[in-house]
Amino acid sequence: MAANLRSRPTRTFISVLAVAIGVILMLIIGGIVSGTLNEYLSRTIGVGADFMLQQSGASVFYALSSATLPEKLALKLKEVQGVGAVTPILANFSSADFGLVFGIDLASYNQFPGRLQITSGRGSLTGDEVIVDELYAKLHKLRPGMSLTVLNHSFTVSGICRPGAVVRVFVPLKTLQALNETQDKVTFMFIKAAPGADVSRLEAGLNDAFPGYRFRSTKDESMLLADTKMPGMREFQFTVVIVSMLLSFMVILVAMYTTIFERTREIGILKSLGASRSFIVGMILKETVIISGLGVLFGIGISEVARKAIISAFPTLQVSMTFTEVLTACVLGLLGGALGALYPAYKAARMDPVRALTYE
Amino acid sequence: MNRAEMAAYTTDFIMETVGLTMIYRSGKVVVPALLNVDLQVHAGEFVAIMGPSGCGKSTLLHLLGGLMQPTGGQVLIEGIDIAELSDAQRTEVRRRKVGYIFQRFNLFPTLSARGNIELAKKIHGNGHVHPYQSEQIIEMLGLSDKINFRPAELSGGEQQRVAIARALINHPAIILADEPTGSLDSRNAQQVLRVLQSLNEKLNQTIVMITHDSEAASVAGRIVEMRDGQIFNHHGHLAYEPELEGLL
Repeated sequence: MAANLRSRPTRTFISVLAVAIGVILMLIIGGIVSGTLNEYLSRTIGVGADFMLQQSGASVFYALSSATLPEKLALKLKEVQGVGAVTPILANFSSADFGLVFGIDLASYNQFPGRLQITSGRGSLTGDEVIVDELYAKLHKLRPGMSLTVLNHSFTVSGICRPGAVVRVFVPLKTLQALNETQDKVTFMFIKAAPGADVSRLEAGLNDAFPGYRFRSTKDESMLLADTKMPGMREFQFTVVIVSMLLSFMVILVAMYTTIFERTREIGILKSLGASRSFIVGMILKETVIISGLGVLFGIGISEVARKAIISAFPTLQVSMTFTEVLTACVLGLLGGALGALYPAYKAARMDPVRALTYE
Repeated sequence: MNRAEMAAYTTDFIMETVGLTMIYRSGKVVVPALLNVDLQVHAGEFVAIMGPSGCGKSTLLHLLGGLMQPTGGQVLIEGIDIAELSDAQRTEVRRRKVGYIFQRFNLFPTLSARGNIELAKKIHGNGHVHPYQSEQIIEMLGLSDKINFRPAELSGGEQQRVAIARALINHPAIILADEPTGSLDSRNAQQVLRVLQSLNEKLNQTIVMITHDSEAASVAGRIVEMRDGQIFNHHGHLAYEPELEGLL
């Protein structure tokens, strides 16, 4: 088998490369999607809130939710026994940065454990001021006092904070409401229970007291996996997986199909030596496993290099490459290859030995 | 030969065909390749089958090895009618009882001489007890110093000896040789024929060989002549002039 692969180095290399590309597609595109979303969600949890208040039926992805919550609801929530802090947030998607911008009330936001930790400039957010995190500042070469256009509005950078906050760009809530023409409306609110309060009881109490709103616990681990709940995300990831598998499948199919035609005479010899159909099928599948296996290893190696290069070039982008994702790519790469080899193997096994022996 | 010896002689066939017929059909065209061929081969016999091109020699050899299914008649190998067997069963019989040698050697170019021989063992399966070790066969055929060479690095005669080793490694009941000297010069052809003769005489190996060459046929214990898909002469002198064949 190895000798056969070595004897056709160009085709073997192209086949290995094609399987590798499939694996890279799965790991990098899938990794960017899930990495960015999961990192985003984990930063949300990092705020340190116990609950998120949203309109019932709203998406956990703020950009997909409209600003429908009345801001004054924050005052009512603060009066509820057991509620320690409430901060209203207006989220807006900035297509220029392909990221979210939060309109916040800095004073109430900083009552949370994940408050903005200013590393340079001032912790001030009023009027046309903007606070960005260090990664964003590095990427856009920003320093305090410089101007920054966000959402077609010119802001002045007042401070730079540590990364790890929910988003990378914060503007005053009132300014963003005015820009959006959604005065007194917000997208969601972070709520923190008062010290010593029973969080479960508080959640039940809030849901009872505010029908029509949804109090989502940020301690719920399923939030980290919420990317699968984003509309179209599952379909997108499924499409990437299918395209990757199809790539492995098609390349192995064509490679093995041409191989068995080239080796028709050899298959005839094998049959004359008494090789059973299962022996021939097994031989072709083993060759495929070697090609696919090399492709998978090659793909994982390149993906890791690409992941580091992407993170280095685009610090705000996250590429997830967990053991489960790598394992899934391995299994799917091998499976795609094996499926692609089945038909050629079947053809080879059913070949007429006499015709095969006289094949030129 | 007394009556008992005669009875034993007539029943002790390692291979036998009874009314073996093979007719090729392509649309309305019907080509009879073999017609009612009755051939008996005894254990330890060396039979050469001769005849002009298109007389059905190769078809007969393919049928004897179970590579094809006849349109009529029987092919008995050690009493088993392989014409009645399924493709998988015929493959099994071929694996256990038949060794093939081809005119063009048919070695795997990517494998060494040893690799080609070992491949036959691998196909045979691990459960089988190999009566010969590869080394013994290799030494017997004078290939010890070429065992790691690939076919392209061997002469035609050496390649054919590797092919003989491959056919022999699983101790088949019968070796079917299809023009084994057809691609060799006279020196290498003589060498290969001596090997086959030696296998027959020293190891009592049954061999059925197809050949155009009357000199090659002369090493066999019996010559069977074919014409127009039928056997018409079992021994004695050749009824046709093989050296004129190329001119006709």
